[in-house]
Amino acid sequence: MKKIGLLFNGVWSHYTFATAPKYKDLIELIYIHDFDETSLDRLEALMIPFQSNQNAIAKRKDVIYDFLAKGKKVFIEGDSSMDWIEAKWEDRPTNNYWWVENPNNPPISDTDFTHPIYEGLTPRQSCWHTHGSYTSMPSQAKAIQKKPDGEIISWETQQYGGTLFATTLDPIVEHGVQQITHLDHYVDKLIFWLSGDKASGSFDVPRENYGIAVSC
Amino acid sequence: MIQAAVISNGLQGIHRYFVSNEKVNYSVLEIEEDFNPDLTPYDLLVVPNGCDHIAMAKIKDKVASFLEEGNALFCFDGWFTNWIPGNQWVMSNEKKTIDIRYKVKTDTYNLFEGIDIDKLIYNHNISGWWACGYIDASKNADVIVEDTWQRPIIVLDEKTTNGTIILTASGPLGDSGAIPTDDESSYSVLGQLYQNMLSLIIKKINHETSMF
Repeated sequence: MKKIGLLFNGVWSHYTFATAPKYKDLIELIYIHDFDETSLDRLEALMIPFQSNQNAIAKRKDVIYDFLAKGKKVFIEGDSSMDWIEAKWEDRPTNNYWWVENPNNPPISDTDFTHPIYEGLTPRQSCWHTHGSYTSMPSQAKAIQKKPDGEIISWETQQYGGTLFATTLDPIVEHGVQQITHLDHYVDKLIFWLSGDKASGSFDVPRENYGIAVSC
Repeated sequence: MIQAAVISNGLQGIHRYFVSNEKVNYSVLEIEEDFNPDLTPYDLLVVPNGCDHIAMAKIKDKVASFLEEGNALFCFDGWFTNWIPGNQWVMSNEKKTIDIRYKVKTDTYNLFEGIDIDKLIYNHNISGWWACGYIDASKNADVIVEDTWQRPIIVLDEKTTNGTIILTASGPLGDSGAIPTDDESSYSVLGQLYQNMLSLIIKKINHETSMF
């Protein structure tokens, strides 16, 4: 039974990720414009990927906070237009090629490897690139990942009931894009933390998933 | 000046990359619940990278009518739904990005004039950064660019409909670029190629060119 919902903005990387045979039985796509309180019935966790429609989410933020109040988990890859959480994201240049030019100086220098998502990951598996920094976070939040200059990349808080985890990493979108080949490690740990379910096998992309019709 | 509609599903950057100028007036159409825009004022429909292909599939018939009326469509994204007449984007991770190279195949209108294709292939000497997957192209379409395995990456289709369709396999393009960057030299090509495509559409609207 699927325990994780993924707020779906109609973006192909979200679709490719959630429909891959490796993940399709674990993740339920929830189209953002159909998202309401009934969408999260039976689910234990919610993923909100990068490339989401933040205005549409903001209109429905009570659904997310009510879900958290029930003790559930929410994982957010946000962006700087996100004004519905008590934290501030500021854009920073994305460096996709640090591993080519300066491999000993990754964008993230400080990770709490005791956190269940990161436990057992290598530094390379826990950071590929970042899209910004959090310059503030909720009052009771704890930083999980920081850059060399001390700026916060990932944080977590239980102050809303369940666990809210936010990061400027983009594992869901990038795993869907499939240009970074080592993301199974991060994403599979994330899925286990969110649901207790283990994903296994390789990330396949069935041809028949493309060219689908949508009923109006 | 032509009229263009740019579809937005709330992502940042759209308003930055599609700014009206002396050639084209851009109107951004935001996707919301019950998205059903009036396309009749426009000559060109632009679907940028990162768009909502559930919403686009719901207006599939409207887009088809828009094209049958002789208008133009740019889609620079991965349309996993079947809303584009005759052509289908397909995601694939079977090939390694390290092996990806692009080649100009059939470029009737010289859209690659002044374009260094290596800028689409390499970024910091790493290949495979720009497009994803491939296009299952209509047999009526021109494959402008193909990849290492002869898979269509950029397609021009003037025959499936009465209009003009230009597609990339999720390769981002925009009027003034398409990606925020700290490396201008790598990404300026994304605006240059778009401008060549836009010039073709303007010429066609002004009847300065024909398909023969």
